Amino acid sequence: MFFASGINGALGRAFLLIGIIGSLFGAIAAITSARQRDQAVAKLIPRFAVLVFAASFGAFAVMERAMITRDFSLEYVQKVGSVSTPAIYNFAAVWSALEGSILMWVLILAGYTLGVTYWLRKKMDDVLSRYALGVMFIVSLFFFMLSFGPANPFAAGPAGVFDGPGPNPLLQNHLLVMFHPPLLYLGYVGMTVPFAFAIAALITGRLGEGWLLATRRWTLFAWGFLTIGIVLGSWWSYEVLGWSGVWAWDPVENASLLPWITATAYIHSVLVQERRGMLRVWNLSLLVATFSLTILGTFLTRSGVVNSVHAFSQSAIGPWLLAFFAVIVVVSVGLIGWRGDRLHSPGSIDSPLSREGAFLANNVLFAVFAFVVLLGTVFPLVVEALQSRTIVVGEPFFDRLTIPIGITMLTIMAIAPVLPWRKASQELLSKRLFWPAWCGVLALAGSVWVGATGLAPLLTFGLGGFAAGSALRQVVLATRRQGLRGLVGRANGGMIVHLGVIIIAVALAASNSFTHSQELNLEVGKVASFSGHTFELVDVVEVKTERATAVKALVKIDGGKAYAPAITKYVLQGMNVGTPSVKTGLAYDIYLTLEPPVRQDENKARIKVFIKPLLLWLWIGGGLMALGTVLAAFPGRRRRNPTSPTSEDDFAADLLVML
Amino acid sequence: MKTKSVQNKWTWLLVVFAAVALLAFGSTRDSGPRTQADRIDAITKVLACPTCSGESVYVSRASGAEAIRAEVARQIAGGQRSDDEIIAYIEARFGSRVLLVPRSTGLDSLIWVLPVFVLICAVGTLGFAFRRWKVVGSDSISDEDAQLVERALREER
Amino acid sequence: MSYSRKRVAPIVASVVGAMLIAFLWVLVTAEPNTADDADSPLLGQPAPSVMTTTLNDEEFVLANRKGSWVIFNFFNSTCVPCVAEHPELVAFHERELKATNPAELYTVINDDNDASVRAFFSKNGGDWPKVRDTDGAISVAFGVAKVPETWVIDPNGFVRLRIAGMLTPGLLDDQLAQLKAQFGS
Repeated sequence: MFFASGINGALGRAFLLIGIIGSLFGAIAAITSARQRDQAVAKLIPRFAVLVFAASFGAFAVMERAMITRDFSLEYVQKVGSVSTPAIYNFAAVWSALEGSILMWVLILAGYTLGVTYWLRKKMDDVLSRYALGVMFIVSLFFFMLSFGPANPFAAGPAGVFDGPGPNPLLQNHLLVMFHPPLLYLGYVGMTVPFAFAIAALITGRLGEGWLLATRRWTLFAWGFLTIGIVLGSWWSYEVLGWSGVWAWDPVENASLLPWITATAYIHSVLVQERRGMLRVWNLSLLVATFSLTILGTFLTRSGVVNSVHAFSQSAIGPWLLAFFAVIVVVSVGLIGWRGDRLHSPGSIDSPLSREGAFLANNVLFAVFAFVVLLGTVFPLVVEALQSRTIVVGEPFFDRLTIPIGITMLTIMAIAPVLPWRKASQELLSKRLFWPAWCGVLALAGSVWVGATGLAPLLTFGLGGFAAGSALRQVVLATRRQGLRGLVGRANGGMIVHLGVIIIAVALAASNSFTHSQELNLEVGKVASFSGHTFELVDVVEVKTERATAVKALVKIDGGKAYAPAITKYVLQGMNVGTPSVKTGLAYDIYLTLEPPVRQDENKARIKVFIKPLLLWLWIGGGLMALGTVLAAFPGRRRRNPTSPTSEDDFAADLLVML
Repeated sequence: MKTKSVQNKWTWLLVVFAAVALLAFGSTRDSGPRTQADRIDAITKVLACPTCSGESVYVSRASGAEAIRAEVARQIAGGQRSDDEIIAYIEARFGSRVLLVPRSTGLDSLIWVLPVFVLICAVGTLGFAFRRWKVVGSDSISDEDAQLVERALREER
Repeated sequence: MSYSRKRVAPIVASVVGAMLIAFLWVLVTAEPNTADDADSPLLGQPAPSVMTTTLNDEEFVLANRKGSWVIFNFFNSTCVPCVAEHPELVAFHERELKATNPAELYTVINDDNDASVRAFFSKNGGDWPKVRDTDGAISVAFGVAKVPETWVIDPNGFVRLRIAGMLTPGLLDDQLAQLKAQFGS
């Protein structure tokens, strides 16, 4: 029956139904008022936005209530809830499986819709605003229906269940679980906003009016959260999964990386449109690609298609997401094809050696990068579909192709920030690149001196130094000129983001290329040593709780503090989870894992020690990227009207004078 | 200006020379003998865990992956086989689905060919665009463009 | 200029659209996978050499079993389908004991400890030898991905069949009868 699953089930379903109706009428109101220029109907749009948000909030709150009160009448609570899960993980359990995460998607999307409505409150007379909101309502409608139908979190479960297994053990042993998915979703779902404006601009044919530029801050907001989400995901992988790595190129990770790549490309190329009025088709395509990649990524990771091509048609939401993806692609491609003539922009790029030329080169690289990641992710599906054969595309493939791309990107990052718009003379380049180039040589010399080997890592370190020099040059010049205000604004904040990216690139190269590891068979009272450190097993202890039994090996590193890598057996799921223990350091991390089989009785333990150089800097770089994004979102130094292309870069000219 | 500053041709040559020399020295010098652990890591990184989706044996903690890792360690300790032979042994037992690096033959080769093809197309298009822009940007109009304009005008009518 | 530029957007858009539709088409119309999990490069090949000990600390050498059909059941006492298929194995073993020239059934202990296995068999029955697989060497030699897996080796020592996953009632008897008809007993 419809409402047969107790009060929470009934309430939740009712909220979702209200959300469906609200989104439907919101979409109708937005689109009819846009088509017929009807002011009276347009006034209704904000009400529907509020209604839809209230409905999604209500549904989410009901789900939390059901989870907190352990309402085992719901199938979803039976699946991820458990009496013994600690409160904080229980709260996060709502988004630990498919149905709940779609519900969170709905909530965030409704939040964005409301936010955009508020942001547009004074521009509601504009037809373009109405179309954009219409698109947002249609996307909301789709996700409400997804949650109401195939991914129903409020379905009644079998009667007589009073406890469940709780969330996946991997999702209940680190606090990052609380933050990673919501932040990632803020980024993922946020890409709907620029997409909605792109579609609205295509429908109205008003492509040169700077609408896309106005949504820049929304894109930046979503991009920033996507970045944080990805970095936290890697951190979780490092701290929880126990293989000492941060990125495995698995389909789930790739699904979050793909929209990030296209969004990053957009953030750069939109500047060319702003300055020079060019690349309109390309920018629209990037926004469309970013949004459709979020849907495709969700399809790939949530429908089971990755395990087998044939799994998705059995999964409830697979066909829905695939159909939605197809609709988005067909509509967007059709619109771009239809409006292609209007997109034709005047102007030309004079020289490849210019700011806009560098942005173009950067975009080509990002496009190839996205293509490689997408290809590697879907290629096994194609092979399986065509030849009924299983192949695996893993880290070695991605490494081989993305490392050259990354190194080329670093090169562009080193040169591009000093390039002026229009055209750069050789003299100017020689002048501006001089000190950054010496930074690069110094970084290279330093890394050779500390013993780094191999062409790819050395290139990364050298070019990283070069690029950092260019970024620092800009920041230093701007702060010298403007004081602390020189840190905010797009160009300066952007350089802080660049510094973060460079630090991450260097840390990745160092930790991937120069990790060494050793298995140590430790016995209580005996000291083993590896790589200049001593490891002494103090004790092997067993910690039993209601939901799990953990065996911990207490290992003293260099006679100091004891670290406790563990293996935890979750009774309910019958699953063994290894928990690493990390001694963090600026130069390198010492990463300990306990290896099975565990022989607690014999006072022995087999420990694997990884020395991971510079790993801490990944998180520092991530933090710097987030900081830079915030700084970039603040308005910087006043510029000329963005829609009128200027012939001189006044700021760059100022810098030239300074040097 | 050019001659006065420190940033003249010679210092730039010095930069380039220093960079090339450091790279050449750093990337060719001996990094010490490979330990058994290094070999285990290198081999397990290109083998796929048979029960996971896309994870390598190096990454995975699944029981099947642990068994393969133990086998690799055993064969390396035995000292009889080379890395490639060990990989071939594992492939002979599990089939090609434990190989993480796609083959370069048949349909699978597309995964290597397509990125290169896309890169060439993208760079080619960009180069073509720059050339055209250069022509448009310059004051003199090339014959080709004049023809284009003429044809377009004819079409409009 | 405008002559050529006007056509670029529709052309590129339709190419991209066509590629994506082709991709979706491939996904939607894919034939069911015929090369199922039971495929193995070892089929028809001599069985890997197996030298180990049984749970009763007796020596076990597979090469010495020549002359009778050998069945290896890779097992772990915590794996759910292994537990579920166990009654089927017990029934098969009883049926086989009554046959002339019975097949020999062995449990290969996969990533489990002796005590749990003993406890499992004393509770659920199953009076056939269990062999240890230290560090999973036998599992890797056979390419066992995920227990339970059941392998059939013919009297000449060639691998003839791999059944990945749970045994359904009568499956093993049927397959063994077919193999005996095909390769002689």
